[in-house]
Amino acid sequence: MASLRSMELEINGAQYALTIEPRVTLLDALRENLGLTGTKKGCDQGQCGACTVHVDGERVLACLTLAVQAEGRSIRTIEGLASKDDTLDAVQQAFIEEDAFQCGYCTPGQIMSAVACIREGHAGSDAEIREFMAGNLCRCGAYNGIVAAVRKAAQRIQGAAA
Amino acid sequence: MSLTDSPAKYGSVAGSETASGPLGRAALRGDGSLKVRGAATYALEQPVEGVLHCVLVQSTIGAGRVAAIDRSAAEAAPGVRLVLDAGNSLTLAPMPDFFGNTPPGDSYVPFAREISFNGELIAAVVADTLEQARAAAALLEVTYEEARSVPTFSDPRAGEGRAVDAMTKEWGEPDAAFAEAPVRIEATYETPREYNLPIEPHGLIVHFEADDRLTIYEPTQWVDGTARNYAGWFGLSFDAVRIVSPFIGGGFGSKAQGLPHSAAAAIAAKMLGRPVKLAVTRPQTFTAYGGRPATRQTLRLGAAADGRLLALDHDAASETSVTGTFTETLGIVTKMMYAVPNLSSRQNVVPVNTVLPGPFRAPGKNPSAFAFECAVDELAVELGMDPVDLRRVNEPDHDFETGKPWSSRRLLKCYDVAGEAFGWAGRNPAPRSMREGRQLIGWGMAVGTHPVYAAPGEATVRLLANGSVEVSSSAIDMGTGTYTILAQTAADVLGVPVEKVTVRLGDSRLGRAPVAGGSQLANLMTAAVHKTALAARDELVTLGLTDPNSPLRDQANTLTVADGRIGASRGGAISVGELLAATGRDHLEVTRDTLPEADRTPEERQRMFSTLAGRGALPDLPVSRHSFCAHFIEVRVDEDFGTIRVSRVVTAFDAGRLYNPKLAESQFKGGIVMGIGMALLEEGVTDPRNGRILSSNLADYRIATNADVPEITTISVGEPDYDATPLGGKAVGELSIVGVAPAIANAVYHATGRRVRSLPIKLDDLL
Amino acid sequence: MNDFDYLRATALDEASTLAKTPGTMFLAGGTTLIDLAKCGVERPGTLVDITRLPDLSAVTVDEAGATIGALATMSRVAVDAAVTERYPAVSEALLLAASAQLRNMATIGGNLMQRTRCAYFRDPAGYPACNKRMPGSGCSALENVTRDHAILGTSDQCIALYPGDLSVALTALGATVRTTSREIPIARFFVEPGDRPDRETVLERGEIVTAVHVPASAAAANSTYLKVRDRQSYEFAAASAAVGLELEEDGRTIRDIRVALGGVATVPWRAEAVEAALRGRRLGETTIREASRAAVEGARSWYANGYKIELACRVVARAIMEVGGIK
Repeated sequence: MASLRSMELEINGAQYALTIEPRVTLLDALRENLGLTGTKKGCDQGQCGACTVHVDGERVLACLTLAVQAEGRSIRTIEGLASKDDTLDAVQQAFIEEDAFQCGYCTPGQIMSAVACIREGHAGSDAEIREFMAGNLCRCGAYNGIVAAVRKAAQRIQGAAA
Repeated sequence: MSLTDSPAKYGSVAGSETASGPLGRAALRGDGSLKVRGAATYALEQPVEGVLHCVLVQSTIGAGRVAAIDRSAAEAAPGVRLVLDAGNSLTLAPMPDFFGNTPPGDSYVPFAREISFNGELIAAVVADTLEQARAAAALLEVTYEEARSVPTFSDPRAGEGRAVDAMTKEWGEPDAAFAEAPVRIEATYETPREYNLPIEPHGLIVHFEADDRLTIYEPTQWVDGTARNYAGWFGLSFDAVRIVSPFIGGGFGSKAQGLPHSAAAAIAAKMLGRPVKLAVTRPQTFTAYGGRPATRQTLRLGAAADGRLLALDHDAASETSVTGTFTETLGIVTKMMYAVPNLSSRQNVVPVNTVLPGPFRAPGKNPSAFAFECAVDELAVELGMDPVDLRRVNEPDHDFETGKPWSSRRLLKCYDVAGEAFGWAGRNPAPRSMREGRQLIGWGMAVGTHPVYAAPGEATVRLLANGSVEVSSSAIDMGTGTYTILAQTAADVLGVPVEKVTVRLGDSRLGRAPVAGGSQLANLMTAAVHKTALAARDELVTLGLTDPNSPLRDQANTLTVADGRIGASRGGAISVGELLAATGRDHLEVTRDTLPEADRTPEERQRMFSTLAGRGALPDLPVSRHSFCAHFIEVRVDEDFGTIRVSRVVTAFDAGRLYNPKLAESQFKGGIVMGIGMALLEEGVTDPRNGRILSSNLADYRIATNADVPEITTISVGEPDYDATPLGGKAVGELSIVGVAPAIANAVYHATGRRVRSLPIKLDDLL
Repeated sequence: MNDFDYLRATALDEASTLAKTPGTMFLAGGTTLIDLAKCGVERPGTLVDITRLPDLSAVTVDEAGATIGALATMSRVAVDAAVTERYPAVSEALLLAASAQLRNMATIGGNLMQRTRCAYFRDPAGYPACNKRMPGSGCSALENVTRDHAILGTSDQCIALYPGDLSVALTALGATVRTTSREIPIARFFVEPGDRPDRETVLERGEIVTAVHVPASAAAANSTYLKVRDRQSYEFAAASAAVGLELEEDGRTIRDIRVALGGVATVPWRAEAVEAALRGRRLGETTIREASRAAVEGARSWYANGYKIELACRVVARAIMEVGGIK
């Protein structure tokens, strides 16, 4: 048996120490070991996007990432998206306004994906948003609302930057 | 255009007594803030100390028996606490499902020895960590005696199955009428196995606080039914079981029943005396519950030259399991949608080696409409008629199945409004007549419908001294908007802003509620909250008028409650809090239900809410109650590749009064999105040798992605229908998926001239 | 997943040495390996994480060609301005693969090593027999549900499909795979199943892909990747084609053409017969469609995958028409 491994993960700007087996995925470490359950498990095999988090600023799937691989990286989850004073991120706010979800289970992954999508510059048109958000499945079928929310948030972010 | 910005004459709540109040407004989702923060706590996220992790093991043969399970390697694996199978499992009392299927014998064990389908639960492993449990589960050595399985009803050995008596219906003289009809068509339509696949997989945490008391955190569409099920399994009273289910990550019909994996986790928790968490893996979900069964329908339609339907013959079959009966009610739309003077409809269920199928969004209605609405389109082609005109000709003035008048039916209005918004008048009826470059363009339409179901509900309303209101019930919100519309309902009655109302749901310690299924919950629970809030208002008024310490005593014959204040219409008003304080209270609480008779024993009451008995307790109404919709859809088909993309959808809905048009619009669109997947993508693929599901994941069982869905236009033409429900709504949640697949199939025909009668329509069908 | 050890390599030779121990595997983006470990297909004893090896993620484009470091992520290469301009088929193949999240994780080297999606291969509990997992154990796919299996490059031992996109573009453009010990033309990098379906590439134990080199050419600069599938996005190809085209000065005669197919074969499939049939010919839809029939020479279908034969020809034809400017 492989020995347990002690590691520190930087999540949402805070350091978390944990001792786990190397086979523990980042997703399970977040949900089962660290109590950060905002990141969701929908398939656990890279096919739904519910577990999307940011590692060093890029959107990745936590279910196919070993926690140990994220050592020394900067991890951001849905819990770390709102500002310190609890003001919602522009994407979170737009998701509420556009009713871009129903059951809410894919939503954290959608939002983390959308934040990255806008930052990557892939929110230029509805068609582009649809394609670059296609890795996040929504069984409630809130896709129209998601596109509208990403479009609106992108406009607000660009407006604020201008 | 959308519901929320469509012209007020459509989707308005004019005529409603509460039109000016919060109910009926496009309020934002009340639980939205929690959900976008990742702070909504789903079942497996409940912080329960000291949980062990349970992992399931499913059979890898389709029929036969488990000869032996060698548990030793798994038991010796690191961290393992228990390996469970039929040999060492605690036994439970058998409980019937919704449909009356009860496991045979005096006791029930969720682990099979006799295998009736591939992927059946045979064992479970409990360990300290999830990783340990998963790894140990792979170490079980299972020896089977494999028998030959009959995996699908396409297997010739499946036979014809057995007739479902309740599905046999005949009126007029269908054979003679068909023989004499000048225009006739006959065709067979098929749909594959389809799976609900909520993005939150099934799972639960079970915690026995004592031998005879347990709490279960489990996503369920029916808290009370679920509580009753566990109580029955363990021989406990209803009150000894607490179900906690504040958020459900989608269900679509799959999260309402007591399933074997739930029993397995509960047994493990009981045997170990420790809380146990079980997450069904995504591949396991394909056999942990049954989705929609495969269906086959042969339709014969006879019509007059002017399009009037003269005869309809409907011969249907759906799969069921070899151990129980689930009937996908395939004649349900066929029988009531149009004016058909001569009709014969019947259905067989065909037992095969599958998990027992179950309800999946608009069970029966959805495949029923697929076959019938395609057949009507084929008839239109045969007649040389526009498919909308053909439907207009056959618009029934009453429900031909029941003989009752409609409570309301605004389907003609749906044709008008959606057809105009879509531009249907510009359609060239000839197939392959519209194109853009190498894309063939097709326009198709079809209708959908869903019955209005009823059952009793119960709610508690508390008025607090600070002017706020609490509403509670064990009803659930799986994204359907229950939190939001119940707040709106209470706010409406009590004259407070929606923000002042807190709604608590999804806990069996709260008031009773029926299943969130059949698109009934919104109507039933708004009615219950409405009734309860009125009673609370009355009690408050009575308090104000009669309590010796009330400052309002003897001021008037009646008092008005508005904006958190109570007072005489002329004269002073005081805050609700001041009245409560003056009369020595910190709150006023009222609980009411909508059962027709009040005097029932506690056991009877409980049965009304935790079984389908409640439905039967309600009086039969003299009207036929249905929602309706008409879908107009454009597809683009690449003429080389056969790839089909839905490029436009316009749908008009008659779903009565919408309690919140914004949330109703989300549900309408969601059903259409699921319908797009059903038409073009979703297919449970079964190995014909052993019944194993080969598409048991979200890559191989394809659901629509964001890129598959165009901007959808939804228009409400509904008006309050107080003959259908107390507050005027009709069925919303499942309505919109009904009719999408046939509209797409009809559009594909129009684009290509190819009539594909088997779903999903894949590119290889059009090459 | 089985229990395994995890080591983080800091230098190439260290990683190579570590991986000489049986049961040791390299871990890069993990999108194939972790997935297959969860399925029980891969049961590594030790994972050597190579993602922090230095100097393996650069993308360099010069007159001679593009050199793409093996640890560059798919998304990064896909949006590289020089790659997009001079090797559009490479950029398009990357962007049409998987999802944005997976492209952020997966590396170029790992992408080459992507394994089949064969449902039987991925389900060892349900299907113990699999010649790719265990040579000689049998094949559960032959004569059964095979809509997504290969029609080209198959053997009587295995018909599993190579699912990737990038390698199809690289095959069309004649790329070379650089490893710790040699340079391998991509046409020789992948191995058809034959009687050893478990061997998918010529890589030896401990050998690490360090870079992919794509030679510059006029055909590469005028190239495209066309991918056809039922779902609009986030799906493997039912059939795909990478095509590069260079015309004579007359703007009509084909001087050089490169064609490769994806989604239809056990390995990325170069269609040299199509190239030969079109070289020196004038561009024209009829000519292209006729020549594209040669793409499926020797194809054999099983059960439900016969549609791929016709589809492959049409995808090739349309890809050629697209780079040839025929609408």
